[in-house]
Amino acid sequence: MVAVVFGLLGVALPVLVGRERLARLPQAAPERVRGVTPHLGGLGALLVLNSVIRDFGPQFSWVVGWNVTGTIHAIEGSFVAQFQSALVGPALTAYFSMVYVYGYVFLLVFPLLAYFALDDGGPLRRTIVAYGVNYGLGVVSYLLFIAYGPRNLMPELVDSLLFTTYPKYQLLTSEVNSNTNVFPSLHTSLSVTVALLAAQTRDTYRGWFYVSTLVAGSVVAATMYLGIHWGTDVVAGTALAVLSVWVADRYVSDAE
Amino acid sequence: MGLPNSRSADESGRLDRRRRAILAGLAGTASVASAGCVQQVRSIANRESSEQVSLEVKTVPADTDPRAVKIARVVTNRLSAVGVDAQVTLMDEQELLRDVLINNDFDVYVARHPAYDDPDFLRSLLHSQFVAESGWQNPFGFTDLDVDESLEAQRRTSGSERFERLAELQRTVARQQPFAVVAFPDDLWAVRTDRYSGWERFGLGRPLGYLALEADGDSPERLETVVTDGRVTANLNPIASAFRNRGTFTGLLYDPLGRNRGDGVEPWLAADWTWRDESDGGPTATVRLRDDARWHDGRRVTAADVAFTYEFLADTSLGREDSSVPAPRFRGRISLVERVRRVDEQTVEFDFVASDPAVAVRAFTVPVLPEREWRDKSSSTGVAGIEVGDRTTEALVWDNPTPTGSGPLRFQEKTVGERVVFSRFEDHFLHDGDADAAGLGADFAELDVRVVPSADAALNFLEAGRADAASSAIEPRLVPTVARRDGLDLVAETSRSFYHLGFNVQRPPLGNPRFRRNVARLLDKEAIVADVFDGYAVPAVNPLAVTEWSSPDLAWGDEDPVVPFFGDDGELDAEQAREAFRDAGYQYDDGDLVNR
Repeated sequence: MVAVVFGLLGVALPVLVGRERLARLPQAAPERVRGVTPHLGGLGALLVLNSVIRDFGPQFSWVVGWNVTGTIHAIEGSFVAQFQSALVGPALTAYFSMVYVYGYVFLLVFPLLAYFALDDGGPLRRTIVAYGVNYGLGVVSYLLFIAYGPRNLMPELVDSLLFTTYPKYQLLTSEVNSNTNVFPSLHTSLSVTVALLAAQTRDTYRGWFYVSTLVAGSVVAATMYLGIHWGTDVVAGTALAVLSVWVADRYVSDAE
Repeated sequence: MGLPNSRSADESGRLDRRRRAILAGLAGTASVASAGCVQQVRSIANRESSEQVSLEVKTVPADTDPRAVKIARVVTNRLSAVGVDAQVTLMDEQELLRDVLINNDFDVYVARHPAYDDPDFLRSLLHSQFVAESGWQNPFGFTDLDVDESLEAQRRTSGSERFERLAELQRTVARQQPFAVVAFPDDLWAVRTDRYSGWERFGLGRPLGYLALEADGDSPERLETVVTDGRVTANLNPIASAFRNRGTFTGLLYDPLGRNRGDGVEPWLAADWTWRDESDGGPTATVRLRDDARWHDGRRVTAADVAFTYEFLADTSLGREDSSVPAPRFRGRISLVERVRRVDEQTVEFDFVASDPAVAVRAFTVPVLPEREWRDKSSSTGVAGIEVGDRTTEALVWDNPTPTGSGPLRFQEKTVGERVVFSRFEDHFLHDGDADAAGLGADFAELDVRVVPSADAALNFLEAGRADAASSAIEPRLVPTVARRDGLDLVAETSRSFYHLGFNVQRPPLGNPRFRRNVARLLDKEAIVADVFDGYAVPAVNPLAVTEWSSPDLAWGDEDPVVPFFGDDGELDAEQAREAFRDAGYQYDDGDLVNR
């Protein structure tokens, strides 16, 4: 996992950011780190809180939460099943599985490094704030809503492709997340967030804008193709992404 | 789906609760004065007028048991086809059991019964006497005087007379359908045979299955299995019903007085027992304990522990509550016992209710608990998820983090959600060459049980040689995979743990046996066995179907002998089904099945 992501970063950073910027980095690094320390601290605290809540959350959810699986199914029916059966094939399964597991992590890590290499600290701060909003609101939703993904409700229609094809990833993902936490899709919200931020910086990093849009689109499709998320989760995830970028824009520009 | 006027079954569940709250308010115990109440009262008024019948079918997610979800989906699809607003609600297994077995908060559920040893299990499952109790004690709220009578009669008789009584009972239950049996699945387990053999002797669902294993070659130290159900790592309390299915692992920690090794219940923790038939009332048994029986902390297992266990399981509050709080998991068996007396350090005398010794002996199969540890677990407790006013005790919800039993294995360590490790208890009679131990030596120093997220992951573990067996049964779809992979073998056993639809007969319209029969007739059990179980199951209408007590006239022929499917070859004839609902007195309004 770590090796794959490092490999991707090793290729992408020089190509998309440029050697020149990377070469100047060691000099400017200390000051830039100071510039984002409060933001990083806030994000770190949120992530710790997030992992604590995810440990105890599921039990808490059963007491106070709202079981919305049936409502989601009533809204969209077997959309995911149709989406999956329209596309399914071994090559796509392999592609989407890789994107879902590795592409996603790459997508989240790359902008932190790429924006760190910029003289303007705004994009980096916006990214950190937007991630924080995603995780913060995401974890609150997971507490309030109990929802199982389509693969759990409709096993006769939706194959749990990732986990039947690559069972080892279920070990990985189940350590990070409980199977009742699908609404909204944080894979979707964070991926779309990255793509939206990349659109804002497309004049600086044009290559990254294209790459992130492609990878983010693939992650979004993968969540449904693999039977993990409902279309509704994806819509809610996209809304969360838009909201988080809006908050980040306001917060960061207000701060300056 | 998504019609503006359709109310989800979830809401109607809440509504029921609200209605109860309002009735309480009318009785003068609470004041009703919020704006929301007007809305509530209006909703209740709406319920009285004709409104589409709405049913919520509760079950576990596919990660836990894909077969249950698939059955639930068939049920809701068919219910929708006949005009019922039906929806599947997925719940964690322990949440589902809590709603069904403790809180009675369900319309219909799909689950497996945890299997049984003797037909007498039907008594606690269906007798009206158990209607207010939690656990697998009449979760349906079913009451029928004829059924009560047959249930009592079968307990008092033996041989062909009992068979007749049971046949009568089976016919009535099948006609009434308080629950609809769907099928008896084959339990299928994936195992490796390179380090251990003997998996097929008792299967992997019973404690004996692990004790009967034989190590091949240079005596491996550690038996490693994987489970897909992590509850065993969170809770090792043998009487906590929401955490136990068959109690396989707690059955290795806690010994009962007797165990069934294939020819009826025989002495286990007891050295022997003798029966006396008292002419007035039931039989009496004198039980002598093994003189070398020890708890895992080294103390002796005494007659006082045994007497305490039976007193405690009958009332875990030990008289602190106004009425007793029995341990639901063993309710049926404990209800056979009238009185237990400690005679001396090693002898206990049991008085039974009117029953035949062949039935009464079931009472000896409950786990014996150390008095010292459990006596102070009798205090009452309020716990999340259990409705206020429900009585429970610490004993029933305690997670028993470091269990002390007298069984052949002792607890060693655990990490919640990840693993639990047991080690051989060297002072157990099985381990010192006792003749009774015949081939049950527990040929390993440790049993390491790891949690994996799915059966697919379990098979990968096995193939990589990281585990000797998957203790959780696998789905039939994985049978070809097991056959293909190196070193993996399949162990199969017809299970008595039947899949069924449970109906809450205290919620209209499920109180009407005609309605329940019509719902049962929406299922083509043969098609379900073929599609959902890949043929690895037996369709049935009778909860005793795969046993020697099965009534011949309820045997499966070409179709269901009692509630035949509305349709052919898995295709529902919706018009025929709707006609049957009309015949039962229900009406259709614009295609919707409505309550009058």
